Amino acid sequence: MDDKGWSLKGSLLPLLLLVSDLLLCQGVTSLPICPTGAVNCQVSLRDLFDRAVILSHYIHNLSSEMFNEFFFIKKYAQGRGFITKAINSCHTSSLSTPEDKEQAQQIHHEDLLNLILRVLRSWNDPLYHLVSEVRRMQEAPDSMLSRAIEIEEQNRRLLEGMEKIVGQVHPGVRENEVYSIWSGLPSLQMADEDSRLFAFYNLLHCLRRDSHKIDNYLKLLKCRIVYDSNC
Amino acid sequence: MKESVASTVVFILLLFLNTGLLNGQSPPGKPVISKCRSPEKETFTCWWKPGEDGGLPTNYTLTYHKEGETTTHECPDYITSGPNSCYFNKKHTSIWTMYIITINATNKMGSSSSDPRYVDVTYIVEPDPPVNLTLELKQPEDKKTYLWMKWYPPTLVDVRSGWLTLQYEIRLKPEKATEWETHFAGQQTQFKILSLYPGQKYLVQVRCKPDHGFWSEWSPESSIQIPNDISMKDTIVWIFVAVLSTVICLIMVAAVALKGHSMITCILPPVPGPKIKGFDTHLLEKGKSEELLSALGCQDFPPISDCEDLLVEFLEVDDSEDQQLMPAHSKEHPGQDKKPTSLDPDSDSGRGSCDSPSLLSKKCEEARANPSTFNTPEDIEKPENPQTNVTCTQDAQSAHLEDKIPYFPADGSKSSTWPLPQPPSQHSPRSSYHNIADMCKLALGMTGTSAILLDKTDTQALRSSKTTKTGGEEKEAEQKEVESFHSKTDQGTAWLLPQEKTPFISVKPLDYVEIHKVNKDGALSLLPKQKENSHQTEKPSTCEGSKEYAKVSRVMDNNILVLVQDPRAQNLATFEEAAKEAPPSLQQNPAREDLASFSSAPSSCGLQLGGLDYLDPTCFMHSFQ
Repeated sequence: MDDKGWSLKGSLLPLLLLVSDLLLCQGVTSLPICPTGAVNCQVSLRDLFDRAVILSHYIHNLSSEMFNEFFFIKKYAQGRGFITKAINSCHTSSLSTPEDKEQAQQIHHEDLLNLILRVLRSWNDPLYHLVSEVRRMQEAPDSMLSRAIEIEEQNRRLLEGMEKIVGQVHPGVRENEVYSIWSGLPSLQMADEDSRLFAFYNLLHCLRRDSHKIDNYLKLLKCRIVYDSNC
Repeated sequence: MKESVASTVVFILLLFLNTGLLNGQSPPGKPVISKCRSPEKETFTCWWKPGEDGGLPTNYTLTYHKEGETTTHECPDYITSGPNSCYFNKKHTSIWTMYIITINATNKMGSSSSDPRYVDVTYIVEPDPPVNLTLELKQPEDKKTYLWMKWYPPTLVDVRSGWLTLQYEIRLKPEKATEWETHFAGQQTQFKILSLYPGQKYLVQVRCKPDHGFWSEWSPESSIQIPNDISMKDTIVWIFVAVLSTVICLIMVAAVALKGHSMITCILPPVPGPKIKGFDTHLLEKGKSEELLSALGCQDFPPISDCEDLLVEFLEVDDSEDQQLMPAHSKEHPGQDKKPTSLDPDSDSGRGSCDSPSLLSKKCEEARANPSTFNTPEDIEKPENPQTNVTCTQDAQSAHLEDKIPYFPADGSKSSTWPLPQPPSQHSPRSSYHNIADMCKLALGMTGTSAILLDKTDTQALRSSKTTKTGGEEKEAEQKEVESFHSKTDQGTAWLLPQEKTPFISVKPLDYVEIHKVNKDGALSLLPKQKENSHQTEKPSTCEGSKEYAKVSRVMDNNILVLVQDPRAQNLATFEEAAKEAPPSLQQNPAREDLASFSSAPSSCGLQLGGLDYLDPTCFMHSFQ
């Protein structure tokens, strides 16, 4: 039964992904784009933020679906066992991100922008490896692979967009590229299935959370910068 | 000693336990955390379901610890969210942090703990329903009425800073409908509904959903009454229209009922018969022969200059031995006397006067009263073809046009009332004609119509058709001749003559119509007597006992046969002279083949019987076939 449901879902999900991706791409590419290398190109900040918010929202949706699909529907879901072990094990925990609204509103938007950039950069590597490992994983459904590929690509685009925004919000400040290093690759490649699955669970759990953080911060920044806290 | 003490203690303990069990008291059952929800992603509440309380007052405590912390905290607020709940205010709420929550139930007998629940506030957001839903019916002048609704986000949710982004959904239905109509409204806080049923009361609800959260409950129903579209003025207009159309329908139904037949004839007119152009049949009916003939264009007939001595001759047809001749036709006139009427000359002549070849006179009209003598002729004369297509010349004035004048379909082959021309040997005895008028009347009598179409040539042939055979043959011959002649007549030239089935015992002077001319179709055109010149040989003669004969005196240049009255006590028309005269004059008309053939005929067919000159009509008929 689960397999049948899965196969159907598996066929629908890529289609859904494609459609949503097309919509997103349309939404993003319909806005004017600066040619690469142009220094003084001024896509409005409003458009940049709109695009960024669309991307971050989309990435989190994909991450949530991926997490749910893999661990709560498939028989591999270990539920609580993994949850208990996965506490406080995200590689980005070291980045001091605000934990509630007050903290997020108190932080300065430049710092918040930099924080976002750091988080996004921290995920470049893990996402790359996630795709390759999911591709290798035999138990993973096709939709999971498609989503993983999509997340990685959108994350890269969001990073570019954020760098543009930063360039507009406070130009001239070039931060050192600080990010958290991910060292979970060996865990993903473990021979022990249980350990491997837990490594995947952990990765997907952290991905879901961080994508939500980025999305939330960006929406806060958009309302604060573009709409002057009056969305 | 110690052993006894120990056993006593155990015994007492057991007693206590048993006592407790007997009383129904037990440690509390395991509580279960049912739900944790955050309405705005800033606070959250957890609810639990207690297990069995074991009959003793049980105390529930909620303990939790956060991800990354080791210290355990207790629920800060048991009250705000109601019984069996724990409310975490903003200070105690951290987003993107896992909470591990446990419920402890304790009573006198013992305690129990629930399974730990892992809660991340990020994913348990379920807001309150939107508030202040207002409905308004907007009616712009040029556009259709629409329903405009507005609402506000729930009070606790912070949308302005962007902490939560809400999406809305509305649903509405007419009050008595069962299905809701749902619309997604996106992030806007207003909505328009265009498709509304007038006169209905609508119920509307709205709900919201945060990005990455759960849908809220539906807001309380708001209702609005849609007014009727049709105004009072429109209603009156529609009532007026309905009444008017009802009246019109009734009128039409009445008209159809009363005049259905006439309407049918209007829609499906009866097939008209042949009609002479310019010929007003009504004039015939009224007896206004002058106008009638003038319409036909008959003028100056006969030409005065040439016709001083012209007399109108009458063609008399002898219908003796008619009984044998017309057995087949008797059916047309049932009840008619079929006595073999050897029409005595007197009667014939009487008829003849009436039956002047060119007219039906009023005498003939009177003669109708005596149908007996005419029966057989009619019978005899009646051809197989029931239709009377004999063309007669008649005096329009005297025409008895009281009857309705039907149209003859003057198609030659069938319309002839006379028997088809056949070789003389095949002639069946038929009655001869006293005169053309007789023939006409016979024909009319047979067909019951008063319209006769007589071709000029037919007339001539008739007049000159003196059969050398027996009377019956002669009659037959003439009959056939006429028939054949008639067969050549054009349809368009048919016209009507008063119908009379009565014999031709005309009792009053007849008016004669001269054959004025034959039009190109070979139709005989008649002129009323009045228009004729005095030199016309019209001589009204009494039908009774008058013996008038038609004799062709000569043929006019324009192929007009001039008939003169032959004061011979004969019932037969004398055509001989005319016949002899005719051919040359007839030959003058190159266009008339039949005339030419006609001309050739009489020379060979001329016979003389009893002083009467007859031409074998078959000869002529033959030529006309």
